[in-house]
Parts: sequence; structure tokens; C-alpha cells
Amino acid sequence: MSRQMTAVAALAATALALTACGRDDEGSDGEAAPAEEISEGPATGNIEVWAMGTEGEGLGAFLAGFEEENPDVTVEVTPVPWEGAHDRIATAIAAGETPDVSLIGTTWMGEFAETGGLEPTPTDLFSEDDFFPGPWASTVVDGTSYGVPWYVETRALFYRTDLAQQAGLEPPTTWDDLKTFAQGLQQAGAQQGIYLQPGQGGSWQTFMPFAWQNGATLTDGDAYTLDSPEMIEALEYYTSYFTEGLSQNTVLQPGALEQMFADGTIGSFISGPWHIGLVRDAGATDNFDVVPLPGRDEAPGASFVGGGNLAVFTDSDNKDGAWKLIEYLTQVEVQQSWYEAITDLPSMPAAWEDGPLTEDELVATFGEQLEHTEAPPAVPTWEQVASVIDTDIEAAVRGTMSAADAVADMQSQASSIGTGLQ
Amino acid sequence: MPAVATTRDGPDAPGGAGMSARRGRPRGTPLQRRQARTAWLLAVPFLLLFAAFTAGPVFASLFMSFTDMRSTDLRTPLNVELAGLDNYTQLFSDPLFRKVAVNTAIFVVVGVPLTMVLALAAAVGLNGIQRLRGFFRLGYYLPVVTSIVAVAVVWRFLLQPDTGPINQLLGVVGIDGPDWLGSTSLALPSLIVMAAWRNLGTLMVIFLAGLQTVPREMLEAAEVDGAGRWQRFRYVTLPLLRPTLLFGAVITGIGYLQFFEEPYVMTRGGPLNSTRSVSFYIYDHFGFGNYGYAAAASYVLFVAIVVLTALQFRLLRPKT
Amino acid sequence: MTTYTPPPPSVSDDADVLAAEPGRGGDRKPSRWLYVVLAVGVIIMALPFVWMLLSSVKPEAEVRQIPPTWLPETFTLENYRELFDRLRFPTYFFNSTLVAVVVTLGNLVFGSMLGYALAKLDFRGKRVVFGLVLGTLMVPGMVTFVPLFVLVSNMGLTNTFPGLILPYLVGPFGVFLMRQYFLGLPDELIQAARVDGAGELRIFWSVMLPLTGPALATLGILTFLTSWNNFLWPLVVAQTEDMYTLPVALALYSVGQNATQYGLLLAGAVVVVVPVIALFLAVQRYFVQGIAMTGIK
Repeated sequence: MSRQMTAVAALAATALALTACGRDDEGSDGEAAPAEEISEGPATGNIEVWAMGTEGEGLGAFLAGFEEENPDVTVEVTPVPWEGAHDRIATAIAAGETPDVSLIGTTWMGEFAETGGLEPTPTDLFSEDDFFPGPWASTVVDGTSYGVPWYVETRALFYRTDLAQQAGLEPPTTWDDLKTFAQGLQQAGAQQGIYLQPGQGGSWQTFMPFAWQNGATLTDGDAYTLDSPEMIEALEYYTSYFTEGLSQNTVLQPGALEQMFADGTIGSFISGPWHIGLVRDAGATDNFDVVPLPGRDEAPGASFVGGGNLAVFTDSDNKDGAWKLIEYLTQVEVQQSWYEAITDLPSMPAAWEDGPLTEDELVATFGEQLEHTEAPPAVPTWEQVASVIDTDIEAAVRGTMSAADAVADMQSQASSIGTGLQ
Repeated sequence: MPAVATTRDGPDAPGGAGMSARRGRPRGTPLQRRQARTAWLLAVPFLLLFAAFTAGPVFASLFMSFTDMRSTDLRTPLNVELAGLDNYTQLFSDPLFRKVAVNTAIFVVVGVPLTMVLALAAAVGLNGIQRLRGFFRLGYYLPVVTSIVAVAVVWRFLLQPDTGPINQLLGVVGIDGPDWLGSTSLALPSLIVMAAWRNLGTLMVIFLAGLQTVPREMLEAAEVDGAGRWQRFRYVTLPLLRPTLLFGAVITGIGYLQFFEEPYVMTRGGPLNSTRSVSFYIYDHFGFGNYGYAAAASYVLFVAIVVLTALQFRLLRPKT
Repeated sequence: MTTYTPPPPSVSDDADVLAAEPGRGGDRKPSRWLYVVLAVGVIIMALPFVWMLLSSVKPEAEVRQIPPTWLPETFTLENYRELFDRLRFPTYFFNSTLVAVVVTLGNLVFGSMLGYALAKLDFRGKRVVFGLVLGTLMVPGMVTFVPLFVLVSNMGLTNTFPGLILPYLVGPFGVFLMRQYFLGLPDELIQAARVDGAGELRIFWSVMLPLTGPALATLGILTFLTSWNNFLWPLVVAQTEDMYTLPVALALYSVGQNATQYGLLLAGAVVVVVPVIALFLAVQRYFVQGIAMTGIK
């Protein structure tokens, strides 16, 4: 027995000795190499694309136009489930078995770019000015852009028009308004004036807009700056909705929100465009509206922006074609017809100015909100810091920590985690 | 692999009079040589696939646990700093890790015996009926094959504070039922019960198979000797079932030390991390990209599994 | 004195092997109470399954109803229709079946081989081999996931059936289960066969293996279920759509970036579960067939 143990230990020691080479300080992985030159003329060759969910399902047929314009190209789209997509891209990068292009969730950018697995965006082909600023910021890691925003989503305020009318209230434009608004909806018959997520996964997406509206920031570019008076004040404001009984302090189960909104139990909530369909399915048709988030002192207030970026992998052997495909997908008309195909919201302001995006008022509201959005910092450790924020929000909402303590805890944990940039 | 340590407590050979007799003989008889040759031949497929697919990744990940590797090093896995035991010391100084370790320990200590007893009762009960046998067996196996999403919806409904059937039942006898999943002290026990419910089908199937090794004649002989049902179960069935019980205990222990799905779908680890498990913690850290740290946590969990398994081997060792 | 008589195939159907019901005398008939208790248990066990079935034929809004409803108000096959329209079922079904069947057969054959050696044969290194088996069983799967994928990729096995199958072809679970089952079988059978001059492999294959029906049935159903439901490994190894297995394909459209389509998800879950239930019903009768060790005293 012990002989075997010794052998195992010896083997392990050898393995350690052999591989002890250490990180080189040059930071070759993270460093931005200049983007490759993109050739003139049409795209050629084979382009492999991964896209998640409905994007993956619709994209193949949608690209007929691109293939027509570029007769020598073949595009192979592989749909990938959202569930597990992060792992699939991570393992593919690790093994060097990536496609040429992939849809990448905005919050993954920092991590994947820092592996060195993503190509820098060719700046001659794409201009920052063509895109909404929040979404573009999600592609920029340590000063270099590693992809292009494809579609976006942002959060706005859903409310019951019948209850607001009954209470004699206009949609809110300031924090004070919002509080009065929630109280009014409650007096008009709702059990909860507003539902704000009281903690757990993703609650930072509901809370951070309030912090941003108050002037708080997440980083100064190099380090986390969570413990500001603005952040504390925003968290105090957020938790007041729970202490004043305007929002429940336990998380709703999936499906409950739409239903409680439709039957008037919940008067308002903050969410993204996908909730339009869900709310209608649940039975609320003509009695609700969506407005941009209120600001601290005046509208409009900043909101969270998410969505999907398109990136080209370093291990791609057809980068030229890959970038041309992305260029095609970020043309204004193509973005508009992509919206018509699967209702993905365009990442470019120009696409919202005319055509299909102006036709639906509720959708147009999200276009308005997109002018005022913030993206979380594109750093590799963001997901971890986000989960710290989620936990501390929950503690503050439940009253086990004061807002000031919660914010201090966010900061101390976040700074020990670091940004992960080298 | 450090796992070899566990075998010190094996092999648990019950009813193996022949085995201990053989062991006394000197090595190298033709029979023994033949046995050894056959044994290694039978071991070839496992050993080949072990060498090909298990050994490498285990060494790689063990090595990873002594480095500061992050997911951002994926393309240059050797370009990392050795961190010695840093990950391990950091792990034990993280209050959240200590909390999830306690949660996991409670889950195992309560959950394993509970699931074993329920599964054994179900197996014994189902083995004793004639009519509708297939129907009942399938019925008890259903939770294993039911989509976790459906399981979550129905269990959340059952545990609902106001309208849930459980609290309504409690209301009938005058008890004001609590908010099971919203309470930091009741959420974990609720999930333990749910896990027992979900996993007893697997164990039941294993025990059903084990029950078939109990010779009818022995039970009949015991009955002739005047043994009652309970005595026959206690003194005939149970001892003969020992290898199967050990298997069930080990498998359930390994599974429960890694419990993850129940809190993942029911509570997301909340409220206030009261249902977060070690596996959940590891899952999170892999998700955050802290590969070295998550690997270290995995190997701490591995050691816990080894210790628990060793204990179970000792506890369920045949009495001589 | 030891003689082994193979069990007559029908013996199981009227024989009770359990302490609770030894086949003799007044307490032979299972009591009514046992049925009552078992029936109550079945209801508790089956609730979510029944809800899953019923909800797969509801429109989405009804599935999301809270508190959940049982009988569908509006009956619809839309979820199934959508599923079959959007997914190339024959391909995914074939891939899943091929992988699960080969993995199950591999575990049955190779698992009982090593399980037998560990339980009934004497050889040097036995403890080490058993330690490797247990160790493999105990390492948390998450930690080896990325290294395993890199390894399989370096072998050139991504997007191939061997890549999907080989890492699972002989699992420690099966070896351990079979070892424990063999331990419960009497050594006298082996000794008798040796006296009759049978070779070791022959003893394993023709004398001992046929006695393991219940264990093989158990291992078969459990391995098949695990392989059939496996998600993350096929997700990363199958890189093109034509190599996807059912769970991967089913996850494509039901779970979105921000919202989940529950009707679609449940219909998919029902579709996946059907073969598993068929298999369970087919093999569950082996849980009684195995042993009638008459003659062993």
C-alpha cells in the first residue's frame, strides 16, 4: 500500500517540477495585438458560426443574402443552447477548436478576451460611433475592442395603466415620483406597488440602474469603486421599497411575475423587452404600458444593457471572411430585417430611426431607454463580483446588514477578487 | 491516486468462507496463477480506459489546484504561477466555504440515512407484493426520471406558505405552517426531504436487485425455527444484504456530498446561502473562472468523500 | 454439499424471497395494508410526473399558472408540434440511442468483468485496482471536465461517436455495483465448477454471470438513464448539429437568454422519458428472476 502511495507522490512531484514555468510578465495573453488587415472584395471560403438559441435557429436561413453577395462563401451556422454555451466556448478556446465567429454574451467578453482567444476588432471596418455607447463598451476590454454588438436588450418600467389612472398618477420621472407611484398603485388595489428583485442571481441588474442614476460607478478603469456614498444612498433607496412594504422580500418563482402583474397583484416592475410577450400571454393586453426608467432628479435614468456581441476567434482560419460576415450583420437594413425575423433589438441607433422599430410603441420605448444605458465592466472577474453584489443586496433587503455595511462588504470582497486584468 | 487509502478497510467479503480459506495458502499454486491471469485479463478494459481518459485529467486538475490558474489562462495552461497551498489556505479562510461545508455535512448526515431507510422500506414492500408489481415499481422510480423543472414546480407548490397543501394540512391540525423555502433554517431541511424523495427510486432499484440474493430456503428455515417477520428481516435478510447496503450507502454518500441540483433549481443557494452546497460553491468558482481555486475545493471535497467512504466500509464491515 | 440448480424461469412469479413474505403458512398473502401504504406512496412519488405529462399539453400561459393547475383547461398538442417541426428528431434520436446503448452494453460487460475479478478472484494488486475504481468514482466530475475535453480534442475525437462514448464506456459505478453483487453470491458455486474442471473465464461467463440478472438489470437501467440524459459532455464534444444528442437539441429553443418556454421544455422532457420508462418496464421483471439457490445449505 505505502509503496504505491510513494510512487504516486513521486510522479506528482515530477509533474510539478517539469511544468513549473510560471506566468511571464509580458502578459502575452491579454495584450492587444494590432487587428489584422481586412482585404478588399467579397468574402470567400468557409465560415463557421456558433449562435445561441433562436439566433442560432434563424441565422442560417437569414444569411442567404450574404451568400448571394459573396458567391464564393459558405456559411455554416451551428445553433448552440444558451444553457452551457459559456462552457462550450471556454472548452473550445482551451482546445483550440473554435468556430470562426460566435455570438458571445456581453458579460463574458472580459473573460474570453483575456484568454487571448478573441481577435481585436478591426477599427477600419467598424466605428464606435455607429453603435449605442453602452453595448459598445461591453466589447472593450482593457482599452481594446474584441467584438461588435449584434443585438441588445435593456430594462424599462412596466406598469398597469388602469391602476395608475385610478390613482391619478402620471408615469414617474424621478425617484420621488417612483416611490409615490408605487404607493399610489398599491392604494389603487395592487398588493405590491412595484416588484424589485430582492436578491439572488441577477438582482444586480435591477439594483445597479438605481446606483448609476445616482452617479455611482463600478470601476474607475483599474479598480472597483463600489463603496461610494452614492452607492449607499442608492441601496438605501432600494431597500426602502421592502421596508415600506411596497415590494415583497422573497424572490418570485418563474412565471409568477407576469401572472401577478396581469391580475393586478403587482402594479409595476422593471424588466426587458421579452416581458412584453410574457405579460400579454398572461392576460394583460391593453392595460399596461412601458416607460423609460426615472432618474434621480429627472428623467431619463440610466438602465442596464445586455444582449449579444459577435466576436472572431484567434484560432479562426478565415478571419477575413468572419469580419465581413459581421460587417454584413451590422448594416442598418440588415439589423432591421433581423428584428423582423426574430425580434432581436438592433445595436445601432440608426436602425431605430425609421422602419419596423418605430411601429411598435412599446418597443420604441426600449429604443429611447437605450440612449441611457450602462454596461457592467468588461473584466474577467465580473461574474464573481456580480454574485457578491447579489448576496449583499439580499442581506440589505432582508435587513441582516445595513446598506452601508453591505456596500462596504461589496467593496472589500471585490477588491480582494480584483479585476483580473493583467 | 490517494484513493487507494480507502481499500485498507476492504474487502468486505461476507459469506466468503472460501475466500479466507484461499488466502491462507502460499502464493503461486497453479490455481492462484490462473486466477491472477484471469483477473488481470478481466481488468484490461477498465484499466485501458482509466489510463486513457481518467488518469491524465485527474493529474492535470490536481496540478491545477496548486496553481493560480484562471479561465483566462485556458490557451496557455502551463503559463501559470505555482501557488503551493495558497488555494487551500484561502479556501479554509473563506467564511462562505465554511458555511457551505456545514450545509453539506448536515445534508449528508441527515439525508443519507433517511434516503437509505426509505429506499429499503420501499424495496422490501415492493418485493412483497404480487399484483400490480410493475406498476408500483415504476411509480416509485418516477421521480428519478421526471424533469427537474417539473419537480421544482410541484415541490414549490407543495411548500408554498399560504396556499401550499403541506401548510393547509398543518392548518387542519392547528399549526401555522412556515415559509419553508424562504426561511434560513427550514430551507435546507426541506431540500433534504426533497432529495430523499428524488433519489430513493435509484436506491430502491439497487436494493431490489440485492434482495434477490436472499435464498428463500433460509427464510423458510428461519420461519420453521419460529422467527417472526421482523426477526427474519433483521437476522436473515439484512446480513445477506450487507454488500448491497454498503454499495447503496457509498453511492448515496458520494452523491449527497456533491448535492447540487436541488438548491440550484429550488433556492439558487438562498436564502442567504443557507442551502448553498460545496458543489454549488465549486460550480460557481468554475463559472467565475477561478480554475485553480475551484480545483482545490474539488479535491477537498474528494478527501471528504474518501473519509466518508472509508467510514462506511468500516461501519458495514462483516462482523466475524 | 453443494449442488447448483439453475432457476426454472417461471419460479419467480409465484415465489417471494423476502423476509416479509416467506412463501409459507398464514402470512403468505401480502396484507391489504401494505397495498394501501404503497399506494399512498406512489401518489406522492408520481405527482410531479403527472403534472409534467398534463402540462405538456397546455398552452404556455397555462403552464406558467401559479399555483400550478392540474387538468389542462385548453388541450393542445402545439408544444409537441413545435418541437417536432423545429428539431430534426430522427437524427438526434439515433445519436442518443447509439451512444446510450453502446455505453450501457460496455458498462454491463466490462463492469461485470472487473467486478467479478474484484469480488471472487485472488490476485496481487487487487486493492490497488479497487482503489482506482473507487477513486475514479469519488473525484468530482466538474474538476476533470476541461482537461478531459482538451485530451479528447488532442486525440482528434471531438465531434465523433468515440468521443461521445469512450470516456463513459466503463464506469466505476458499474464495476463497484457488480463487485458488491458478486460478493453476495456463494463461493461454493465456483469451487464446484472448478472441481468439474471448468476454466476461470468459463466459470465467470457461464456459471456466475447468468446469476446476476437483477444486478445487470439495475446497472442497465441506471447507466442507460445517465447516458441518455447526459448534457454537458455531448454539448461540448458534438460540435455540429448533426452530432447533437436529444438533451442538447431539446435545450436549444426552450431555454433562452432571458426567458424560458416551459411548455416546450416539458414536452421535450416527456419525449425523452418515454424510452426510459419502456426500458424500465422491460427490465424490471428481472428483479425477481435471478436466484433460486436451491440446494445450497
